[in-house]
Amino acid sequence: MDGWLIAMMLGGSIFLGGLALLAFLWAIKNGQFDDEEKFLNAVQYDGEDELNDAVNLERKKKKLKREYRPE
Amino acid sequence: MSNKVACSHCHLEFSEEVMIKDEEHYFCCNGCQGVFHLLADEGYDSFYAKAGDVKLTPPTEQYEDSSNFNAPAFYDRFVKINNDGFSKVSLIIEGIHCSACVWLNEKALHNMDGIIEANINFTNNKANIVWADEVVKLSEIIDMIRAIGYNAYPYDAEIQESHANKERKDYYLRMAVAIFASMNIMWIAVAQYAGYFSGMTQDIKTILNIAEWILSTPVLFFSGWIFFRGAYYGIKTKVVNMDILVATGASLTYLYSIYITFFQAGEAYFDSVSMIITFVLIGKFLEVLSKKNAADTLDIMGKHIPSEINVLVNEKIVSCKLTDAKVGDIVVVSSGEKVLLDGEIIKGEGSFDESSLTGESEAIAKYIGDSVISGTVSIDADIHFRATKDFEHSTLSNLVHLLDNAMAKKPKIEQLANKLSEYFSTVILAFSFVTFAVWWLWPHSFEVAFMVGISVIVIACPCALALATPVATLVGLSLGAKRGILFKEAAQLETMAKVDTLVLDKTGTLTIGKPEVVQEIVLEEFDRSLLYAITSSSKHPISKGVSAFVKEEEFEVINFDSFTQLQALGIQAQLGSKELLGGNYRLMKENGIDVTHESDKTLFFFAVDKKLVAIYELSDTIKEGAKALVEDLNSKNIDVIMLTGDNENAALRVANAIGIQTVLAQQSPQDKAAFISKLHEDKKTVVMVGDGVNDILALSSADIGIVMGSGSDIAVDVSDVILLNDSLSSLNDAFKISRTTYGLIKQNLALSLVYNGITIPLAMAGYIIPLIAAISMSVSSLLVVGNSMRIKLKWKKN
Repeated sequence: MDGWLIAMMLGGSIFLGGLALLAFLWAIKNGQFDDEEKFLNAVQYDGEDELNDAVNLERKKKKLKREYRPE
Repeated sequence: MSNKVACSHCHLEFSEEVMIKDEEHYFCCNGCQGVFHLLADEGYDSFYAKAGDVKLTPPTEQYEDSSNFNAPAFYDRFVKINNDGFSKVSLIIEGIHCSACVWLNEKALHNMDGIIEANINFTNNKANIVWADEVVKLSEIIDMIRAIGYNAYPYDAEIQESHANKERKDYYLRMAVAIFASMNIMWIAVAQYAGYFSGMTQDIKTILNIAEWILSTPVLFFSGWIFFRGAYYGIKTKVVNMDILVATGASLTYLYSIYITFFQAGEAYFDSVSMIITFVLIGKFLEVLSKKNAADTLDIMGKHIPSEINVLVNEKIVSCKLTDAKVGDIVVVSSGEKVLLDGEIIKGEGSFDESSLTGESEAIAKYIGDSVISGTVSIDADIHFRATKDFEHSTLSNLVHLLDNAMAKKPKIEQLANKLSEYFSTVILAFSFVTFAVWWLWPHSFEVAFMVGISVIVIACPCALALATPVATLVGLSLGAKRGILFKEAAQLETMAKVDTLVLDKTGTLTIGKPEVVQEIVLEEFDRSLLYAITSSSKHPISKGVSAFVKEEEFEVINFDSFTQLQALGIQAQLGSKELLGGNYRLMKENGIDVTHESDKTLFFFAVDKKLVAIYELSDTIKEGAKALVEDLNSKNIDVIMLTGDNENAALRVANAIGIQTVLAQQSPQDKAAFISKLHEDKKTVVMVGDGVNDILALSSADIGIVMGSGSDIAVDVSDVILLNDSLSSLNDAFKISRTTYGLIKQNLALSLVYNGITIPLAMAGYIIPLIAAISMSVSSLLVVGNSMRIKLKWKKN
C-alpha cells in the first residue's frame, strides 16, 4: 500500500476529528452544557417571535454599548 | 360537595365558591389575578399555552420595599461592573416550576429598557443579569420579576461557587482533549502492534509515529499542564510528589519517541505518554469532584446575622447599622427576633430561646433588670433593653470570631495515598536512574539503556495509584448518600476511619430535643378538646409538647371568646362562662391556685375555673438506638464522651441510661471547643456530633464535625458530615462506611503496588515492549476500579 495514502487518510481524519473537538471545547467554554435542561426545552419555544426578540435584544445591546458611558 | 376549579394563573384547584370570578376566568387570589392581567396586557399570555397544566406558586403580594436593593451598601456587595461599564448581578429566582417560567422571566427582562442580558439557569434557578444602571435600577428589575409572579434575591456569585466551577470546567476541557487524543492514538497503536508482530515497512511505521506525535502533543502540553505545574510546586517545596513522576515520565518518553521517529529505529511510546496523562488526569478529576468547594467556607456574618437593629431615638424607633450601635443605646426587640447586642432589659418581659448558648430548647423567662445575651432569640417577648456592650465586644461577635479561628485551624490528617506517593515517586525515579546507569555501563548503547530506564518509569507510572483513592472514596460517598449520610468532602471518610474519640451533644443529638409528656396526672375529669385548643394555639415548646400528647382523636375547632398569651407564664382563655388557664407554677400562684406537686421535670398545669384539673410532666426523651451505638463504638475502642450545656442531673440521667462513662455538664460553647482542643493535645482524633448553634465552635474545631439534618443552618454549614434522618443508627453507619472505605483504599493501594512489584523488575530487566506497557496500565487500573465495585455490590446486598 502506498504510504501517502495512509498519511492522507490519517491526516484527514485527525483534522476532521480535531475540528469536532474544537467545536466541543468551544461549547464547554461557552457554558452550553451548564444547564442540562434549558437548551433542550428551549427548542419548544423556538419561533418567529423569539427570533425577533433575540434580534431586538442584540440591537439594544449594540446601541447601549455605543452610547452608554457611565462616568 | 362543590365543584373544584383550577385557578387561571397558578392552576391550583379550589372549590368554586372561594374563587374570584373574572369574566370567564377564575382566580384563587388577587395576586394570581394581577399577574394574569399583567401578562395579558404585556402580550406574554402565550406563557399559559407553553406552561400547560404545570402548577405554579401563587404570588405573594407583600414584599418588603424593593428600594433597599438600591442602597450603596447593597450594590457594593452584590453588583459587579463589567469591562464595558455595565452592571452585573447574580440572582436566585424563586417560583420557577417549568421551562415556560424561564421563558417568561427572560422575555420580560429582555423587553425592559436598559437590560442587555438576562440568562436564567433552569436547573438551579440562578440568573445572571447585565444592565445599564443609568437606564434602569436593580430595584426595578426585581420589581418586574415580582410583578410577573416570582421572587428574586441576590447572592454573591464570587464566593459561592464560581471558583469551584471554574476549576471543574478547566478539568472538563483538559479531559476532553486527553480522552479524544488517547482514543485516536489507541487505534493507531493497534496498527502499530499488528505491524510489530506481522511486520511492516519502516516508512509506514514512521507515518503512524508522526500521527501519534501530533495527537499526543496537546495531551502532554495542554492536558498535562496540571502535572507540570504540580511538579514545579513540588520542587519548590522540596517534596517529591506524584506530579514530578508523571511529568518526568511523560516528557522523557515523549522526547525519546520523537528521537525514535526521526532516526527511524526502535519503537515509539507516544501511546504511553497520552495514556499516563489521561488516566492520572481522570483520577485527579474524580478528586476535584468530591472535594468540598469554596462555597462551604462561608461568610458567616453575612449569612446568619442581620445587619440592622431597631434603636429607640427620641421615643421613635429607627433602624441603624448593627456596627454603629453604641453602649447605652436602647434597642427594641419584638417577638421572634434575634437579640444582637448584650444588654439589660428596661421595659417588657417574656421568654427567650437561649439554645445558642446552652443547647436547651426550654424557654427562659426574663423580666425587667435581667440581662439579655446576644445570639439568643425572643420567643414571645417585646422588650426594650439598654446595650451594655457594642457589637464588636458582644458575646455574638466573640463567637463568630472564635468560629472563624476554629475553621481556619481545622486539623488536616495527611492522606495515606499522598504519603505513599511521595515515597513511591522517589523510589521509582531512583530505580529508573539506576537501571539506566547499569545498562549503560554494562556495555549497551546509550539508546538501549535510555529506553530501558524510561520503560521503568512508564510501567510504574501511577495510573492505578492515582485512581486507587478517588475511586474508593467515591464508592464511600455514594454508600453514605444512599443511607442519608452526606460527607461534604471525600477526604473526611479517611479521617473518620482513624477516629478514636466520639464527643456527643445531649439535647437534639442523643435526645429528641423537644419536651415530651412523660407523665399525666389527672385530678379531675375535664374536656380534653379544651386543653388541645389552648395548647395548640401557642408556639411555646412546652405547649407544643402537651398538645402533641393530648392530640389523639379528632377534636372540634373551638373559637374562644378571649385568648391571651401571658408572657413567661402561660395561656389564659375564656369560653362562655368557663375560664381556662394553662401554664407554669407562677401562673397558678398568681391566680390563687394552690399547687403542691413537685418534680425535677418541667411541669405544665391546666386549670378550669380556677381549679387545677391536670398536671403534665415533660422531659426530653432519648433517641432510639443510643445504647446500641455506645456499645458498638466501645467495642471498636472508640471513647464516647458527652458534653452538654444542661445541668448535671439531667446530663447524668441520660448518660446512665445509655451507658456513657464520661460526662461534662454545664458547658458553654467555648468550653466545648476548649475540651476538644485539649483532646487534640492528647493526640486524639475527634468526631463531634451536635445539632445546635451552641455546638458550632466545637463542630468546627473537631477533626470531623457531624450535624443532625434538623440542626440549625449555621451548624449544618460548619460541619463536615450531615445525617439527614437525624438517627443515631446512621451515625453508626457513617463509622462503618468510613472504615470500609479506608479498608478499600488500602486494598487498592496494595493492589497497585503489588502490580508494580511484578512489572518493575521485568522493566528493569528490559523485557517490556510498548504493547505490554499499554496493556499493563489498563489492566492495573481495571483491577482497582473492579475491586471498588466489588465492595459496592457487597454493601448493596446487605
